[in-house]
Amino acid sequence: MELYKYLPKTNCKLCGKTCMAFALDLLQGKVKADDCPPLLEPKYKKQYETLKELLGSEEGVEKELRINVDTDLCDGCGICVTICPVNARYCPPSLSGKAPDYPPEKHQLFQVKGGKCELLELKYCRRIEAEGRERECRVCETYCPREAVKIEYV
Amino acid sequence: MKRSVCSGCSLLCDDIMVKSDGIYIDEVFGACLKGKEKFDQVTSQNRILSPLIRKDDTLQKASWDEALQRTVDLIKKSKKPLIYGLSNSSCEAQLKGIELAKLINGFIDSNASICQGKVLDNAVNSGITLTTITEIINKADLILLWGSNAAESIPRLLNKVLFSRGKFRMTGREIKTLIIIDPVKTASFNTMGVRDVALRITPGKDIELIKVLKEECCAADSIPSEGVAGLDKDDMKRLLQHLSGAEYGVIFVGQGLLTPQKNSNLINELLELVQMINIKQERGRITLAMMGGHFNMNGFDHVALSMYGKRGNLHFKDNQILETDENIISKIENEDFDCSIFIGTDPISHFPMSLSSKLAKKPIILIDNRNSATLQLASIVLPTTITGIECSGLAYRLDHIPIELKKIINPPSKIPTDEEILNQIIQKLKSDGGN
Amino acid sequence: MEVIKTDFILNTVRRMENDQSKEFSFGDKKSLVEKLAIAFINPKDFDKLNLSSKPNLKISSNFGIIIVKGIADEDVPEGTVLMPISIWSNQITGVENSELRYKNMRVDVDITEEKINDLNSLINKIKEA
Ligand code: SF4
Ligand code: SF4
Ligand code: SF4
Ligand code: SF4
Repeated sequence: MELYKYLPKTNCKLCGKTCMAFALDLLQGKVKADDCPPLLEPKYKKQYETLKELLGSEEGVEKELRINVDTDLCDGCGICVTICPVNARYCPPSLSGKAPDYPPEKHQLFQVKGGKCELLELKYCRRIEAEGRERECRVCETYCPREAVKIEYV
Repeated sequence: MKRSVCSGCSLLCDDIMVKSDGIYIDEVFGACLKGKEKFDQVTSQNRILSPLIRKDDTLQKASWDEALQRTVDLIKKSKKPLIYGLSNSSCEAQLKGIELAKLINGFIDSNASICQGKVLDNAVNSGITLTTITEIINKADLILLWGSNAAESIPRLLNKVLFSRGKFRMTGREIKTLIIIDPVKTASFNTMGVRDVALRITPGKDIELIKVLKEECCAADSIPSEGVAGLDKDDMKRLLQHLSGAEYGVIFVGQGLLTPQKNSNLINELLELVQMINIKQERGRITLAMMGGHFNMNGFDHVALSMYGKRGNLHFKDNQILETDENIISKIENEDFDCSIFIGTDPISHFPMSLSSKLAKKPIILIDNRNSATLQLASIVLPTTITGIECSGLAYRLDHIPIELKKIINPPSKIPTDEEILNQIIQKLKSDGGN
Repeated sequence: MEVIKTDFILNTVRRMENDQSKEFSFGDKKSLVEKLAIAFINPKDFDKLNLSSKPNLKISSNFGIIIVKGIADEDVPEGTVLMPISIWSNQITGVENSELRYKNMRVDVDITEEKINDLNSLINKIKEA
């Protein structure tokens, strides 16, 4: 139980449970390190930082999804617009490879404007919204002929 | 904001959105970069806005009256005029072009003859049907790009035919197999998935591949164990399996197959292969589709066919069509012309040096909207509108479906359309008393 | 001086980035040369020819000679030269049996210090030929 090591281990129950229980919840991503008030005190600063680092790499909870479209490379082929399952669900024209209507539907993720792809709204991306295997969606990056789409976590 | 047609290439995407106030184009949605650039041409720095006449070996601005008069004078002096191009013009302009050729006893042809026109010729002779984009979207489960880099020449083609979800299938890309045969690893290769087949053939060996595949169709195990044309035996077997197992396969014939190899007609060989596969086919069939660069590549074929029953190479003499085996290349090669009229094309850039220098010796009349290498050699330049943006007209899509192009904005400085220019020349010739 | 001569297959292609009609619409004399007077070859050939030592490539076919800038490109197979279709590549293409020959042609490739022709000099060459 590596996470437990870095907690204050005082069982003060300010978090509503014991340190051991807190550590378990941390591991499952149910709570955040910040939910333990003593940990934020200056004397635990080092432990707090180590914990954050561990959580970051182990869980990815602290990382944020970014989808970058390199407009220098992109040639506006619209493949990402068509292939993205979210677009397919909310923009009927994209089912037959057509450009979606304008103005864009609120869930629409990509549109091609002025010959270049534009990312509209990331928050409906399956990597954020969906559950289970669907969350591993990566088709926009896989099929872009220009390798212009990059999915990153920063 | 209106749905409009893009005239950037022969796919003629009819789903793009153009925001315009009728004077300027503000924004284009849905068109690829190539299409967007077509719209940008309206205001490009190299646009020609006034007629030009060559005086003292430099091109100088002239009035429309003067330029047209000079054109007519040149044509009247000419005994064997050549008219070429028209792939970037509407069918209406192509009709006028043919009318002009008839009036002046000229030879007329379009860019298609040295390009995809060959596919149509051969397909008509073999009886194989071509297919349409909608059919491909709805039915195809196998797309074969042979010697064509769709991702660059027709940027949205793969989007439409490969990634769309058809009416009769619930899924899209997952059930479609993509096969690419090309020596160069082009951008199209990046759209491949795990089940797809990439065949990087040795350049110039397509003919050998086709021949071996044909043999294999007749008698199994004809493929030499070391493979052919730089391809592995197993890969070739997979290719054949995919082709004969497909429910609806489409072969996109690219530029790579249009030049003859070892003096055999590649397209014909390919068509024979397709016929053989279709005989073996149990579940479906294989069809072909053409790819064109210029947006109205196919239009001239249709106009000429409907008027004279001949796809191209129309040679007129005393209002009659002459039977001729000549094409534009042989005409120039044999210097069998004394004046050339080019409409919306740049032959000096496209043709080999040996032909260009022959063209340069005779007067050139150019009808186009922008700078080009041909312009540098032209005697008279008549500026024209950009069809599909500044004037309407009919064009034939790469799958031979007629599409009506719309006018979006007014042309600058009252520039006439191709059709109007050709008509003015015809009227002037008639009123001046012919030649 | 040692002369390295190698047999290559020439293919002329249309690329979006190197498209003559695009350059004639939007470019100028400089960009025309930059985008069109080029040839792509495999990096291995690039090294074999020792292209970094001399700036340009001299490509000769049965039909003519042209000098262009050589660019290494991994996607081009070894032994192949890829040129964008343009007035430059058409200096070495030709006609056979009334058909254009612009693909799969055998060419010789050499490195050179000679300058790349600009559009004007090619136009003059065409005029005088
Ligand atoms: S709040 Fe912190 S110190 Fe208190 S019991 Fe929970 S983990 Fe331990
Ligand atoms: S798939 Fe790639 S090249 Fe095509 S529009 Fe999207 S980002 Fe641009
Ligand atoms: S990862 Fe999937 S859901 Fe997210 S933008 Fe890309 S294609 Fe759409
Ligand atoms: S694929 Fe062709 S027709 Fe479609 S948007 Fe691009 S240039 Fe225009």
